[in-house]
Amino acid sequence: MDEDVVDVLIIGAGASGAAAAWSLADTRMRIVCLEQGDWTNPADYPSNAANWENQSFGPYSIDPNVRARETDYPINNDDSAVKVVNFNGVGGSTILYAAHFPRLHPSDFQVKTLDAVAEDWPIDYATLEPYFALNDRVMGVSGLSGDPMNPAKQPPLPPLPMGLVGEAMARGFNQLGWHWWPSDSAIISQPYEGRDKCLNLGPCTSGCAQGGKSSTDVTYWPEAIRRGVELRTRCRVREITMNDNGFADGVIYYNAEGEECHQRAEVVVMAANGVGTPRILLNSVSKQFPRGLANSSGLVGKNLMFHPVGNVQGRFDERLDSHKGPQGCCILSKEFYETDLSRGFVRGYNLQITRGAGPMATAMAGFANGTIPWGAGHHEAFAKRFDHVASIGVIGEDLPEEHNTVTLDPKLVDSDGIPAPKITYRYSDNSLKMIAHGIARAEEAMWAAGAVEVRSNGPARLTGWHLLGTARMGSDPGTSVVNHWGRSHDVKNLFIVDGSIFVTGGGVNPTSTIQALALYIADTMKKNLANLFD
Amino acid sequence: MSNLISTDQPFTLDEKEALDALLDTLVPASDAGDKPSAADVEFVQYLAQQDELFIPEVKSLLAILGHISFDSEAEERYERVVAFSNSNPRAFRELLSRVYDCYYQDDRVRRAIGVVSGSPFPQGNEIVSGDLSLLDPVIAEADRHRYRDTK
Repeated sequence: MDEDVVDVLIIGAGASGAAAAWSLADTRMRIVCLEQGDWTNPADYPSNAANWENQSFGPYSIDPNVRARETDYPINNDDSAVKVVNFNGVGGSTILYAAHFPRLHPSDFQVKTLDAVAEDWPIDYATLEPYFALNDRVMGVSGLSGDPMNPAKQPPLPPLPMGLVGEAMARGFNQLGWHWWPSDSAIISQPYEGRDKCLNLGPCTSGCAQGGKSSTDVTYWPEAIRRGVELRTRCRVREITMNDNGFADGVIYYNAEGEECHQRAEVVVMAANGVGTPRILLNSVSKQFPRGLANSSGLVGKNLMFHPVGNVQGRFDERLDSHKGPQGCCILSKEFYETDLSRGFVRGYNLQITRGAGPMATAMAGFANGTIPWGAGHHEAFAKRFDHVASIGVIGEDLPEEHNTVTLDPKLVDSDGIPAPKITYRYSDNSLKMIAHGIARAEEAMWAAGAVEVRSNGPARLTGWHLLGTARMGSDPGTSVVNHWGRSHDVKNLFIVDGSIFVTGGGVNPTSTIQALALYIADTMKKNLANLFD
Repeated sequence: MSNLISTDQPFTLDEKEALDALLDTLVPASDAGDKPSAADVEFVQYLAQQDELFIPEVKSLLAILGHISFDSEAEERYERVVAFSNSNPRAFRELLSRVYDCYYQDDRVRRAIGVVSGSPFPQGNEIVSGDLSLLDPVIAEADRHRYRDTK
């Protein structure tokens, strides 16, 4: 019996898979996307219910091992200084992300040339610039043009309100003479493309009930589906299959009923993130690729990068209304973004101002760190902190190191019996020095802003949002997994469009760059359709 | 008054008395009287409606805690709960998170701490847009802040 063969098969419906599907829909090719999770219903998000804070620690936890839905896969973090966080479903981790949306800098693509560390990317900022702009328009990005720390750009929507938190911190930065700027945010500040604007509910990281946050289930996917892309949910890919000619010919996956299926395809596009993609590649063992598919370099799963994160919280006498507004999107400072070797480390970090927590989280955090007791002193201590805090996230650049890896766990499996990923990760001395420097500077900023009490911690463990580098791009097949437009060096009809292909990580949240890369690769595929496999 | 009918009460009278004493110890009413005691915010109803699976945990915790009631002095109750929290830190943390979650959903409490809108959806919050003239010094020193041009 003839098997059904699709033109393009995309694995993963998150940030990158959505952008690639949307772009490739131009071709009128038959495109299918397999997603292991479900569509989420915004009516189910915690912010619809009075107990939204408690739900965000359970069924909507950012930690897949806590959430433990059928659609999640377990992750072994036992040997890692950072725990992986994610979401599995249409929209991927954009469902729970904070939507902070800065771009990598031009310098981030040339760290070897500039700083003699790691490797240069095979592409530069200018190559991605039109795709950054396109992505901003499709996602709906709010921001302010004119930031001297970025090349010129024009966000399609005005910036989100800074609020009292942003104003307080802006004054602090000004007192120190440091750079700051309103954050680029994938949250709409005005009605946009049929979506209503952000209501400043607060809990972005447990899903946006309003739809003001630009997750790809409400941006790219509706249009991609209207244009003919078929999105199948509850389809968990086990491995990519190969034909005798050295081409990928499809995937084996489990459907919602747990039945094993084979979907054939002319082109396979991996978009399962920096952990999920190497997991599937390493699980795709064949006679041609005994170490895993597309792994002649031995680098699949290696060079895993996160962004090391430090946290500094300041308490202010005046009320800052801190629980109101998007948690992760306010203002940021890139004063320490570029290399200055006098600081004792190479590369740099950004200081991301975040808003405060809701009342229950405030009380529990106060219990954990000893600032808000239960019992007689509770009310007085709570009143001093709730709505009276500002926070700074120190987000630093992590350099690639081969000993930081994603491998297949020898014992742990998901509900379909597929080996789970095992994370092995250590901070480098450079990262530790960078975060220590950033925490000290953030404390300085807090005092300058008028804080009356400052507390710090870091590097923090449950911060592994940014999954990068595990199938990096490059010109040399011996030192990279994909070429300069995301095509596997080893398998000419296999593409990777997610954060795996980052060569270096930059010092900012990566989603904007991940999606720009996916659009660039899809566009390059379209331009080369006649000789895609040459 | 609780919306639970008496036959649906998951706790015995003794358990309920101990639970109320425990809740009041964890979060007593404020001195100013604007915030109620946690014993007065329908915790049992909260569990029944929002976290039913935790009810057996609460019953186990009460059994471990032993007899505690309003007949005891507040200081004595406090010491008992401190001892309990030290010997059962994980279980205590789980309980406390539910107590706080329930407590800070109460309308009287929310009014008292200034939470008048926000979640749950579709309410929202108004926040000040912020004074963008604060950017003037950054713009004035644009050359110092210029991104590193790699060309």
